[in-house]
Amino acid sequence: MSNRRQLSRVLAAATLLLVVSGMVVALALVRPDRADFTFCNGTEIKTVDPALVTGQPEGRVVWAVFEGLTSYHPQTLEPLPGVAESWEISPDGKRYTFRLRREARWSDGRPITAEDFHWSFQRLLHPETAAEYAYEMWYVSHAEQYTAGRVAVGDPVEIELPDRPPGAAPFARGTVLYGRLLAVEGLGSVPASNDGPAADDAPASGDPSGEPVYVVEIGGRRRRFQRASAVPRDPAAEDYDWLLYDFRRVGIQVVDPHTLRITLNHPVPYFLEIVGFYPMSPVPRHCVERYGYPAWTKPENIVCNGPFILKSRRIRDRIRLEKNPYYWDSDHVRLNSIDVLAVESAVTGLNLYLTGSSDWIPSVPNEIVPDLLRSGRTDFRPAPYLATEYYIFNTRRKPLDDARVRRAIAMAVNKQEIAARVLRSGQIPAASLVPEDIAKYVDYQPPRCEPYAPERAAALLAEAGYPGGGGMPRLELLYNTHESHQAIAELLQSQWKRSLGLDVRLTNQDWARYLASRRQGEFWISRAGWIADYLDPNTFLEMFTTGNPNNHGGWSRPEYDALVSAAQVEARPEVRMRLFRRAEEILLQEMPLIPLYWPVTRNMVQPRVRGFYPNILDIHPLKDIGIDDIGIDAGDPTARGSTMRNWCVGDRPWPWW
Amino acid sequence: MIRFLVSRGVWLVITLWAVFTVSFCLMRAVPGGPLDRERRLDPQIERNLAARYHLDDPFWKQYSRELGNVIRFDLGYSYRMADFTVNEIIAQGLPVSAALGGAAMLFALLLGIPAGIVSAVRRNGPADRILMTAATLGIALPNFVIAGFAIILFVFLVPIFPAAGWGTPAHIVLPALCLGAPYAAYIARLTRTGMLDVLRADYIRTARAKGLSPAAVIFRHALRTALTPVVSFMGPAVAGIVTGSPVVEKIFAIPGLGVHFVEAAIQRDYTLAMGLVLLFTLLLYGANVLVDAAYVLLDPRVKLR
Repeated sequence: MSNRRQLSRVLAAATLLLVVSGMVVALALVRPDRADFTFCNGTEIKTVDPALVTGQPEGRVVWAVFEGLTSYHPQTLEPLPGVAESWEISPDGKRYTFRLRREARWSDGRPITAEDFHWSFQRLLHPETAAEYAYEMWYVSHAEQYTAGRVAVGDPVEIELPDRPPGAAPFARGTVLYGRLLAVEGLGSVPASNDGPAADDAPASGDPSGEPVYVVEIGGRRRRFQRASAVPRDPAAEDYDWLLYDFRRVGIQVVDPHTLRITLNHPVPYFLEIVGFYPMSPVPRHCVERYGYPAWTKPENIVCNGPFILKSRRIRDRIRLEKNPYYWDSDHVRLNSIDVLAVESAVTGLNLYLTGSSDWIPSVPNEIVPDLLRSGRTDFRPAPYLATEYYIFNTRRKPLDDARVRRAIAMAVNKQEIAARVLRSGQIPAASLVPEDIAKYVDYQPPRCEPYAPERAAALLAEAGYPGGGGMPRLELLYNTHESHQAIAELLQSQWKRSLGLDVRLTNQDWARYLASRRQGEFWISRAGWIADYLDPNTFLEMFTTGNPNNHGGWSRPEYDALVSAAQVEARPEVRMRLFRRAEEILLQEMPLIPLYWPVTRNMVQPRVRGFYPNILDIHPLKDIGIDDIGIDAGDPTARGSTMRNWCVGDRPWPWW
Repeated sequence: MIRFLVSRGVWLVITLWAVFTVSFCLMRAVPGGPLDRERRLDPQIERNLAARYHLDDPFWKQYSRELGNVIRFDLGYSYRMADFTVNEIIAQGLPVSAALGGAAMLFALLLGIPAGIVSAVRRNGPADRILMTAATLGIALPNFVIAGFAIILFVFLVPIFPAAGWGTPAHIVLPALCLGAPYAAYIARLTRTGMLDVLRADYIRTARAKGLSPAAVIFRHALRTALTPVVSFMGPAVAGIVTGSPVVEKIFAIPGLGVHFVEAAIQRDYTLAMGLVLLFTLLLYGANVLVDAAYVLLDPRVKLR
């Protein structure tokens, strides 16, 4: 008995010790002192490796620690000099020569050269990196071929031999040979084809059957290459890791250590924005090759070139950024330290903001937006945003292949009611795919689709052979599980029932499943949203061309494709915009989509913050942000007349639950 | 005792393998995968990504590779937080969740057991009624409702605690309170029931007859047996509370494992979801073995076999 009692005491003591030590461990990794500027970033970022990121939260961090050839003006979004201090564009708009500033350095003090950019772009485009944004650089000549691993007979090629040292970090390359592809021999069944893109998917595909043999001329000798895994193996062939288009022939050339020349397939008016976009930031070769991915992104290893450096990182907690003393423009960087909080919930973010623990929250909960607007607070100002919420029709299914049916369904949607009853926070009912606010930045005025007209819609549906909705199959509306998507879907369901007599079933699916259904075309009508990557109608209109991976509804019109591709290669801006407008007119006559509304930004920024401007891409470079602890500067638009008083109980802000 | 532990160890391995296999098949069977995005990837880029993560291999090859990695304790890199291995994510998140869970459990025990004792001893009195009503409320009210009230009270009206975050002892109080409240309520009810049973037992009457003080009867004789149901409840409860609560962690922005659990499932982060499922299995199993062992210490009538 006493033995037992002792044991139970030991057990209790051990448990207590465990709990206490656990707390100590968890709390020992305490935060450093408060940063100059703290903001909620929405979620934990995927990575800080510029080549591998997508998404707004990631962009905010990557833009703070890296800088590309250009950067963005925080207000007008004009491309500003970044690492490149100047550039020249050839008269045909296809060749860009960037002069890099000599004072640009990595955060370990090494100079940044054109060679760094060359290597970083190669890494971005290399299929092994599998960069999601690689396609943004496909405007560069032969870049797409390089990423896709597409080689044709006669092409210059590079072959990487499988001799990477064991345990080498990814992308530390083995021996690379350069030569000219003489022939592609498909052993057995696959005959060598000489016309067109010969070996379409050969080097990158993992299909072991019929691995072709590549005959390459290297230094005057013919050598044969085939994967070692090939089933009927050519005994004379050598193994290889990658066989790609010769990167030295891709349109990215180092002229001298401070001059980089980029050649495009066709003029791209927004190319200066593209090279400033965060995936196109340079990465330090010496660091990446030494540690490999992802070890090089650890705070203790990372070398970067942006206004800030990555000081520490705790998963789903915070990222601490500190001013980079080697940054070329560090005199103009106003913040010494920044905390990036990975706060997932908008309500929690708001609580942190209201208690002064966060200086900026990029979104507020939907439910409180009307209250915020009524309160007259000046630290909450929704602003237009270059994005569109819309529904797409699956035009592969009858009767949605009939434009009259689609138009009828679209015309029966009362978008004003959506904005007024569901959204209630300043969203604009959309009359086109490209948001009208783009006109403030580029010379494009989108056409407008047919307005809300329930009687005409009913007549049109009858004309198509479905009077009063009779004979229509039961349509389904697919959306991902989310409160406001659900509310809109329910509202539209009742609108369609009322004016067309249509019974539409609602289907909600979790995010990943919804994406899969949409990709596989398993829907009738589906919710969709699109955020612009750059300031040009192309970012929206390209999506509806035949074969585009994002054309989920399968709509296809040769005239539309022709107009969009003509516009893409057109050098004269006014002709280009006219072509785009013509294309969008066709789109809005055919209605493979229902534009619903244009979302607005929902930033909330403390009055003491300076240098924060609303803009249509919702990009807010941290470099330009400053803090004013003295008082309210009447000249600054973000600070005029703070009306905290409306919001307080006593002297404390009121929670918004 | 040793035979007991060895046989439990063997069963643990079998359980982990079964959980691994079922989770692996379920994850692959659910539509949607880690490469799905709002904007669809270019087919070529998608192929490159699939090759990078070996998602283009046949099912059995993927299965055997994953199983081999798990046996070597290499859970791989997370898909969603690509800079970190699953091991790193667990190493950072588990102490946080454990500290929070530990604090919540401590709070639940310190509140629940005395409340249970009091209401058993003062059965049907006003103290019993009040405590048991509170306990019912504690079980019935979901975490997030309690959290909402706690935040309004202690963050905004009487600002003594921070709204959210992690890093100082002040940050642990409100979440531990919200997380522990239902457990405290449950423990109070269990203690009360156990106590009522025991107080009617013969050996308690004997103890009383010997002239022991009521405190000695309750604490030295009755309580230890009365706590058996609490201990068996504690096993799974500790495993659950230590791996984190998604709701409380989300509301208070705590970097524990709970949010990872939910997000890994939603985002089809195969590696992270697998790692967390296996970790939870291990903890649950371990806690149950400990509970079985603890019975011996608490109740002289129980023998391990």
